[in-house]
Amino acid sequence: MARFVFSRAVKAVLTIWIAITATFFLLRLLPGDPTTLMVESDMTPEMRAALLKTYGLDRPLWEQYVSYLRELAQGNFGVSFRQIQPVRDILLDRLPWTLLLAGTAFVITIAVGVPIGVYAAVHRDSPLDRMLQALGIGGHALFVPSVAMLLLVFLGARLDWFPIGGAVDPDAHGAAAYVSLAHHLVLPVLSLVLVQLGPYALTLRTNMIEVLGEDYIRAARARGLSAQRRVWKHGLRNAILPALTLMGLQLGTLVGGAVLTETVFAYPGVGRLIYEAVGQRDYPVLQGAFIMLAVTVVVANALTDLLYAVLNPRIRL
Amino acid sequence: MKKILNGRGGRWRGVVTLSLAAALGLAGCGLNEGNSASGGGPGDGSVLRIGTTTDVSNFNPLQSLSKTDSWILNLMYPHLLRIDENAKKAPELAKSYTYEDGGKTAVFTLRDDFAWSDGKPVVAEDVKYSAETIMKYKLGNVAAKLTWVESIEAPNPTTVKFRLSQPYAPFAEGVGFWMPIVPKHVFEKAGDISKFANDSNWVGAGPFVLDSFTKGQRYVLKRNEKYPLAPGGRPALSQVEYRVYPDVNTMMLALRNGDIDLMATPVPASATKTFANDPKIKLVKVGALGFAHLTYNMNNKHLARQEVRQALSMSVDTKAIIDSVLQGEGRQMAGPISPIFAEYDNPEVQPYPFDPEAAKAKLAAAGYKDGNGDGFFDELTFGVACDQSNPNITRVVQLFRESAAKAGVKLENECVERNTFLNRTKNGEYDIDASQWGVFDNPMDQLRSTYLSSNPGGINYNLLKSAEMDRLINDAAGTTDPAALASKIKNIDKVVHEQAYLTPLYVENFQFAYNASKFTGFVPSPSDLLGMVTAYSLAQVTPVK
Repeated sequence: MARFVFSRAVKAVLTIWIAITATFFLLRLLPGDPTTLMVESDMTPEMRAALLKTYGLDRPLWEQYVSYLRELAQGNFGVSFRQIQPVRDILLDRLPWTLLLAGTAFVITIAVGVPIGVYAAVHRDSPLDRMLQALGIGGHALFVPSVAMLLLVFLGARLDWFPIGGAVDPDAHGAAAYVSLAHHLVLPVLSLVLVQLGPYALTLRTNMIEVLGEDYIRAARARGLSAQRRVWKHGLRNAILPALTLMGLQLGTLVGGAVLTETVFAYPGVGRLIYEAVGQRDYPVLQGAFIMLAVTVVVANALTDLLYAVLNPRIRL
Repeated sequence: MKKILNGRGGRWRGVVTLSLAAALGLAGCGLNEGNSASGGGPGDGSVLRIGTTTDVSNFNPLQSLSKTDSWILNLMYPHLLRIDENAKKAPELAKSYTYEDGGKTAVFTLRDDFAWSDGKPVVAEDVKYSAETIMKYKLGNVAAKLTWVESIEAPNPTTVKFRLSQPYAPFAEGVGFWMPIVPKHVFEKAGDISKFANDSNWVGAGPFVLDSFTKGQRYVLKRNEKYPLAPGGRPALSQVEYRVYPDVNTMMLALRNGDIDLMATPVPASATKTFANDPKIKLVKVGALGFAHLTYNMNNKHLARQEVRQALSMSVDTKAIIDSVLQGEGRQMAGPISPIFAEYDNPEVQPYPFDPEAAKAKLAAAGYKDGNGDGFFDELTFGVACDQSNPNITRVVQLFRESAAKAGVKLENECVERNTFLNRTKNGEYDIDASQWGVFDNPMDQLRSTYLSSNPGGINYNLLKSAEMDRLINDAAGTTDPAALASKIKNIDKVVHEQAYLTPLYVENFQFAYNASKFTGFVPSPSDLLGMVTAYSLAQVTPVK
């Protein structure tokens, strides 16, 4: 176990380093630089040069890279070009919102997806099963922003059940602030869940059907265990493993979805920060955000692996 | 087995609950702005809520280059002059200006009743300090407007004198409109201004001053109790709030639902119908200070020929473009001067007629041939570069491609991501540039920026090097007599049109939407930079009784 954890950690660090390096160079390979968007009718070449110098972009690329890594090792993410503020502060400002949004969507997808998947597997070809199959395939084709806009127009504007955009009513205080927070969270979470739920439940259904045909389930039945127990304790335990892997992998997609969801819903998370920073070629912010995402995905996958081992005694670490 | 399973299941549930609670708790920290007690809560009719598209990226007005930043910062930091409804300069902090010493000294006379929100008066020393700081650190785009300044004097609290190395006619207009005035007694203490974030304890002299903000959500500005340009010397609104909606569709829904009262950003032409049946929402139309255009790269040996440029100008159906792309919300142009600057616009200049057949004949007469009989002249294939994030221009390029084909010219659509486009433009890597100028506050600056061979602003997209144009422009720039200046500019207008250095496409009408059942009194100015949200405009707004 210790050896597994150690080798997994080394791999994780290596993956993150590759992500850092790729991000660093890819960003600088993009056409244009942070001054490109500032084409004011009067910016002289000298002013542009002065700006690039302030940003440290006049130095050779490898020199920039080495000094960036050195700073990073000390936990310094640099300073945003546009906002003249430490990137770490900017990210920490936004991170809780994305965690809240993606985390809630994640939990709800599992909480709703598991029972639906199991029910559909047990009641094959029932109306719900058919619906799930359609939704599972359709879910792949759904585009998050379109779903988000539809929800906004109907549930937000037409029916006026939910607020239009934002994360919380800034004038609400105390308990009312938490109610407002939850109220604002519904539509963004719903749009993420709608897109994720189908494929997730469908995978679980397929696994479940397979597992329910296994000998040990039949044996359990012969031993007189109730259907409830057979399905939920014995069946699900085995069927959930591949679905778990899928969930770990989908975490990356979830974060990608958050970029678009946050933009449509004016949600103040990291996703929207990235959206804005790309347009401004704000390298330090983008690097910081991508490193954070890379770390999240790498850690989540490592945790999935560990959890897999814990849940499946057949895997010995 | 059973026991272990339950135990694990319980732990798992615990972890999920815990992490969710942690996330909630973390987010909870950012729920409210910590740095102020917020007054004038919801329900107070005198709080105006405005939708913007992005966060403030830089609170230092001397550095900021962003349009959305300026919407908020201009409410705090006054300018010497403003642009009124008719695109003319009007007094703001400055009562008036004159030139002395044959145009080599510009003298501004300031009002004596502007005050910073900490109680200190706004004085000439503040203006001198602002200008000198910009020059010292070469900040923003204003630094270039101050190029000719040799020294600045503030002989008394209401007089500022700029001594110039040479007369430059629109100097006072340019500096007056673009330069924000900051409080010397506050900024001086900050040390290196190029590193000064100015993100708390704001001191302003506009009608509203920032009080608090929550990144990604809103910016709260409180009324400045002394603002002489507001009726009665005090704005009627107690508070202005900017709320951030990155997606303009979401912002429109928020306006319709009453979450905001005004959109700072224009409503897209294709979406104005959304508000047609809403009795609360009113649309206000303003002109632009820039225009859309096709500009020809003179380094291309075919585009360097006047006949080719003229033929291309005859192959663009600008009327159809205005109808289909802008839903009719635009004005046709002839020469390079926008009709909004009526006194400089040459009425003799008429747009090239849309006539692809005549264009084709012109090209044939110029010696071009269609050897392989494919309907296109063999040598005339051009790439049209544009920014694909601009839906209007992308559509224009498509229409231009179709109509130019009728004239026998093959065009390739090279619309790319915005930064890539700007980078190609900067490096001259295009045949034809299709884009939109943002804001020209006066025609003289525009002509200098776009046609001088020294390319001072980097937007001589023609890459034109013409001794004649240089002479004409430099001669006009040094002319201080207004009538003589206007006639020289009209002449340049004509030359550019005859040469067809560019094909002007349209001056767009911007439409701004606000909730007329709650607020009234906006004074709109042209362009999407100014629109409804200038300091002067918001200082006049009153709640509907």
